[in-house]
Amino acid sequence: MALLTVTKLSKQFGGLDAVADVDMHVDAGELVALIGPNGAGKTTLFNLLTGVTPATSGKVTLTTASGKVALLGKRPSDIAKLGLARTFQNIRLFSKLSVRDNLQAAMTHRYHENFFAEILRLPAYYKKEALVGGWTDALLREFDLTAVADLDAGNLPYGTQRRVEIARAAATAPRIIFLDEPAAGMNPEETAGLRELIEKLRTDFQLTVVLIEHDMSLVMNLAERIYVLDHGKMIAEGTPAQIQKDPAVIAAYLGGGVHA
Amino acid sequence: MQAKWKAALIWLVLAVAGFYLINELIVVGVINAFIENMLVTIGINIILATGLNLIIGFSGQFSLGHAGFMAIGAYATAIITQQISNTLGFYLSLGVGMVIAMLVAVVIGIPTLRLRGDYLAIATMGAAEIIRVVINNLKITNGAAGMYNIPALANWPTVYVFVCLTTLMIVNFARSRAGRAIQAIREDEIAAEAVGINPTKWKLAAFVMGAATAAIGGSLHAVYIQTIAPSDFGIMQSISLLIIVVLGGVGSITGTFVAAIVLGVLDTALQQFGALRMVIYALALILIMVFKPSGLLGRYEVSIKGLLERKGGHHGTTDSHEVE
Ligand SMILES: Nc1ncnc2c1ncn2[C@@H]1O[C@H](COP(=O)(O)OP(=O)(O)OP(=O)(O)O)[C@@H](O)[C@H]1O
Ligand SMILES: [Mg+2]
Repeated sequence: MALLTVTKLSKQFGGLDAVADVDMHVDAGELVALIGPNGAGKTTLFNLLTGVTPATSGKVTLTTASGKVALLGKRPSDIAKLGLARTFQNIRLFSKLSVRDNLQAAMTHRYHENFFAEILRLPAYYKKEALVGGWTDALLREFDLTAVADLDAGNLPYGTQRRVEIARAAATAPRIIFLDEPAAGMNPEETAGLRELIEKLRTDFQLTVVLIEHDMSLVMNLAERIYVLDHGKMIAEGTPAQIQKDPAVIAAYLGGGVHA
Repeated sequence: MQAKWKAALIWLVLAVAGFYLINELIVVGVINAFIENMLVTIGINIILATGLNLIIGFSGQFSLGHAGFMAIGAYATAIITQQISNTLGFYLSLGVGMVIAMLVAVVIGIPTLRLRGDYLAIATMGAAEIIRVVINNLKITNGAAGMYNIPALANWPTVYVFVCLTTLMIVNFARSRAGRAIQAIREDEIAAEAVGINPTKWKLAAFVMGAATAAIGGSLHAVYIQTIAPSDFGIMQSISLLIIVVLGGVGSITGTFVAAIVLGVLDTALQQFGALRMVIYALALILIMVFKPSGLLGRYEVSIKGLLERKGGHHGTTDSHEVE
């Protein structure tokens, strides 16, 4: 069953059709990749789905336990609360906060602290902090970040920052996680680690993953289904094997780049 | 005993010890009326500046309108204590001032907190100026002449207790769910929204909280100085509070304490230099900003809990050695 359904979604920047009449769907538990040449509109599509950029027209529907919810027009924070988490192409961490605080900041909608309990340090406050501390410790362990938990996120090596950003998205307890070029700037060793991490998101966290990636070996090995975007239009959809043979895709990449 | 309880106890002991120390120094005459006055001024500035640091340092909103909220507290107290000239009247006026300041903060905050950086600074400065102009033209506030003969309902112990209370309130707020949300917004608003934090709501929360503490500072100012006028709450007052925050370190409550004390002492010590005072004062500020642009303490905070835990961790390793 489709967890997320996108119908005729469009975004124009001035006269430019950054995303044009895009239809797509993501099923629960799937790992879908979104590929396309530079400037195809992949990041813009993520921004539309997560509410960062308002859409020009179209429809986005999320299936929740209490029925179907239209996402367009909602605040990004409300969309996040509904279970859509993301990372950014240009890493956006809370640089001057520790890794631990980065994760905990992403959990604020998962619990409530009474104002008076907070400022008077009532037992209720310590109870909540212990609960959140427990969630955080578990996440730090899962993402192999325990050793850097108390360091400022902005001072970490690039590959670790990417990992923190994915952990932070996971900290929101999402249903779908959108990863925008997580392997960009990683060395082969880090990319291998990333691949394990993405698989972990699906197995241990039971998440649905949508992945934008230029690293074709990563895409072809991980994705069950691939969407191809070019000049804002969805030009192909299919399994990795189908996509690699698709003439429209090969033409879009000018014969290069789409190899496993 | 857990580190958090130990730390809380040590802070409490320090606060009580500080109280007795000042008390003793007054009794033996080391602290004269002049120095006592300086200490109270420093205390009120700490109350005002920690609230501003919450807004600027923790939520990252560059507000230049703090004096407006201070004026609301001061006038609420001046007006109410005219009718009820006793301690009860003072505390009532303190509460009324806080509530009005918080309501006004909501009204000002909703449209202005959407703005960023310099635009927000100008908008909040304008809002504070509107508050001042309104006070300047009302009958109940006695217009530009101001209000005098305000009953002396606060002395140094009152201010001391309020410094402790407001600091505790702000520090605890900053180290909780709320504090993590507002600091995340300061660091990256788009990323904060993407993890479920509503920036408007949390920026407003910090702004309203800062306004409430400014009103407390204003109330204390009114009953201590006993004379207030609209001109006391102009842009220069907002800027002097900003200077304390920036000098101490944006985002460091410890820094705010240090800067308020350093500037308070400097200001008093320079009084004998007359007009030259402002020049030396400005020069000192420029020098500190040139050599330590992040403020005296940067983002550093003293943490007794941290000290205890470090010590505790050390003990832990010795214990495991013994087991081996
Ligand atoms: N905020 C914006 N204002 C105007 N144009 C924009 C904006 N954001 C993106 N665009 C344009 O929309 C088009 C799609 O950009 P987008 O970033 O979505 O591409 P992409 O597929 O993510 O590319 P890449 O692989 O390089 O990340 C580009 O032509 C880009 O210049
Ligand atoms: Mg992109």
